[in-house]
Amino acid sequence: MNKIISHLFFLLMLLPVLLSCSAEQARRPEPESEADLAGLRVATLTGTIYDIELSQRDDISLQLFNAAGDILQSLLNGIVDVVVDDEMIYNAQIRKEYGIKIAFKGEQEFPTAFMFRKDDADLAETCTAVQRRMVEDGSMQSLKDFWLTDRYAEVDSYTHIPDDASGTPLRVAACAATAPISFQVEQEWYGIEIDILRELAKQLHRPLEVKYYEPASGFMALKTGMADVMCGGVFITPERQEEYLFAEPYHHFRPAYYIIDPDAEAQKLGLIPWFKKSIQKNLITENRWKYLTNGLLETLKISILAILLGSVLGIGLYAMTRSRRGWVRAIANGYNGFLAGIPELVLLLILFYVVFAGSGVPPDIVAVICFALFFASAASDIYSTSLDAIPHGQTEAGLALGFTRTQTFFNIVLPQAVRRGLPLFTGQCVSLIKGTSIVGYIAIHDLTRAGDLIRSRTFDALLPLLVVTIIYFLLVWLISALLKMATPKKISL
Amino acid sequence: MITVSHLSKTYHNPDGKSLQVLKDVNCEINPGEVISIIGPSGTGKSTFLRALNLLDPPTGGKIIIDGEDILQKGYPIHKMRQKVGMVFQSFNLFDHMTVLENVIYAPCKIKKEPVEQARKEGLALLRKIGLAEKADVYPSSLSGGQKQRVAIARCLAMKPEVILFDEPTSALDPTMVGEVLSVIRQLAKEGMTMLIVTHEMKFARDVSTRIFFMNEGIIYEDGPAQQVCENPVHSATKAFVQRIRKEVFEIDDPDYDFPGMETSIRQFCIKYNIADKCETALEAYQKMLKEVMHKYLPMTLRITHSELSDVTALDFMVECLESSPLRDPDISPAFLEELGSLVKDVIEEPTSRGFRVKLIL
Repeated sequence: MNKIISHLFFLLMLLPVLLSCSAEQARRPEPESEADLAGLRVATLTGTIYDIELSQRDDISLQLFNAAGDILQSLLNGIVDVVVDDEMIYNAQIRKEYGIKIAFKGEQEFPTAFMFRKDDADLAETCTAVQRRMVEDGSMQSLKDFWLTDRYAEVDSYTHIPDDASGTPLRVAACAATAPISFQVEQEWYGIEIDILRELAKQLHRPLEVKYYEPASGFMALKTGMADVMCGGVFITPERQEEYLFAEPYHHFRPAYYIIDPDAEAQKLGLIPWFKKSIQKNLITENRWKYLTNGLLETLKISILAILLGSVLGIGLYAMTRSRRGWVRAIANGYNGFLAGIPELVLLLILFYVVFAGSGVPPDIVAVICFALFFASAASDIYSTSLDAIPHGQTEAGLALGFTRTQTFFNIVLPQAVRRGLPLFTGQCVSLIKGTSIVGYIAIHDLTRAGDLIRSRTFDALLPLLVVTIIYFLLVWLISALLKMATPKKISL
Repeated sequence: MITVSHLSKTYHNPDGKSLQVLKDVNCEINPGEVISIIGPSGTGKSTFLRALNLLDPPTGGKIIIDGEDILQKGYPIHKMRQKVGMVFQSFNLFDHMTVLENVIYAPCKIKKEPVEQARKEGLALLRKIGLAEKADVYPSSLSGGQKQRVAIARCLAMKPEVILFDEPTSALDPTMVGEVLSVIRQLAKEGMTMLIVTHEMKFARDVSTRIFFMNEGIIYEDGPAQQVCENPVHSATKAFVQRIRKEVFEIDDPDYDFPGMETSIRQFCIKYNIADKCETALEAYQKMLKEVMHKYLPMTLRITHSELSDVTALDFMVECLESSPLRDPDISPAFLEELGSLVKDVIEEPTSRGFRVKLIL
């Protein structure tokens, strides 16, 4: 218990260090046009049109992030000087809260539309038709009046049109979890694009099923048929048009260049009030803690199932490495060598987007299989290390006393091997639990992704990350303690 | 009790070569016999012992124990092993169990003895081997001799009819051989049937009722201990039992590692049970070096011991020397007298390459 307290203490000690990262910036001339960006550090989101435009310029240092919360945080912490994003992402309220302002707006407007698979022209056309009808009857305008102004921050006014349709759902890969484009409140999706897609779903008499993907994963999901439509502020580019099909653009967005507002009343909060406010904002508002509990359950489920399955597969693999037949050993060794050489994330993506693509196997099962495959390899290694460490003399002594071979193994060899192997096994379990933090790439809302989702809503980096860290830590500590308790200490006679 | 006929064992190496370790072993072992198996290394002594309880199953021949052919198919080997105990060279105690648990684990698990009764009997056994106070410690904290005694107690706890000892003292520090041998001696007195593979000739002669001399995969000579040791039939047996143990030191200059050599001499004396001669040996060599031999470097010092005749000698050999160093006029008669009273005999003799002074201790 003392250990855990000291570990937690260490974590809390880190807090002021992290807080102090938001160092005072020397006042420098504010950029007033795109030409002024020369020599500055600029952050934007991966895969956006701004990414594509800005990466053409070699006079700025461009930094790419996956979530709106992260780019804002990088601005606040002085990692970058300017942040480029859609003009209404940080509305007046958010700008005031964080002390940032719009330095200038871009001159060019970029068309934004829903994206479909090339062979799914019908759906794209239906979408265009729905959008046109909405423009005609004025509902598109009222959507824009609501979402694309500062009003969208008023949470109470969100309307939710319930699905009444049944049948195959219209699967949406949402590559933004940011208001007002597409975002979640208490597990429900809102935003201008979601509202348009609801109209489309209604037209098709299909229910709407939205899942959050990283931008890169979103393209994969669409291409491999895991999703029917991709949304989340997708800009039309010629490259994308070659690979995908776009509906008519529903809006043209202008980029805004955000900087720290030097005149803003610096909100200097003490540690305790800051902590209270952060807890309120990140965990209590909109019941955001539910992301964390659901994410924790998902992480636990995947970890435990993968450990169980992997342990059993590991026994088979160990038996194979011990086979008398050379080719069986070769298969087992080849398997171990292969898995040792590929990153977990790569195998996860291969399994999800290639092997199980279109098979209807849910992503969490794919994740369990992926981690079990890795765990089997590690487990078989642990089995052989710990069993080989038991001298053959122990077996001989058991046999000579009159135990059968099976009795000797289970009564004498195995208990000693378990003592030796359990610390290694615990380490492997811990590493697996931490390794599952990549399942967000296949749209599983695990603990890490829960933190990301909260961050993309609150634009706050520190507290969600801190809470996620603490939960992982406690989880790992708990699992280690449980496995330690499982170590046999007394000999049963 | 045990009848072995035409037992053979061939190892097939992966490279296609085969090695016949046991060729044709025949013997009869009766209850109450204590049989020492001696012989040069690599002649199948241990293999024979391990073949008897099928830890290394033989490739040919027959083993009949209590009238049952244990090599027939489907024979419950583990039942046989409960009657035939084994003590290993490397002890093989269960490291994760306490001493007492080591002793009573098999009776509790295999014979389903009630734990309390097993505990009582186990403690009695530990008392017998002098380790009752170590009942609750783990083997890792025991010395080699103590471990081997526990291993014997563990074996006895199954109440075997016969015990096979596979070089029980070979892995031990010389100082600990005695305590293990005395436990085996005690068992012999109590009439336990035992087969002991050993290199301790004196022990074999004193304790065994019979000795098997094994050579080239067969039992070369089988007879009462006294006879095999003193009047062996075969010349090979004779050469083996009368062989002389020796340790040689080449002393090149005055910077030689003399303390290291003294340690080696001490260990030699302990190993061959002549600890009583150790101090004499050291005193004699120191005197000789100081008074005489320092002039004759380089020289060779040799300590020899014949286990059977119990003769120990210290040889000082110098090459290209034609007369005895002791005949040097500088040497005082007082020293020669002192030397004469220290050792049993002083022999001065020329050798093919030089001259040797032999002190019989």
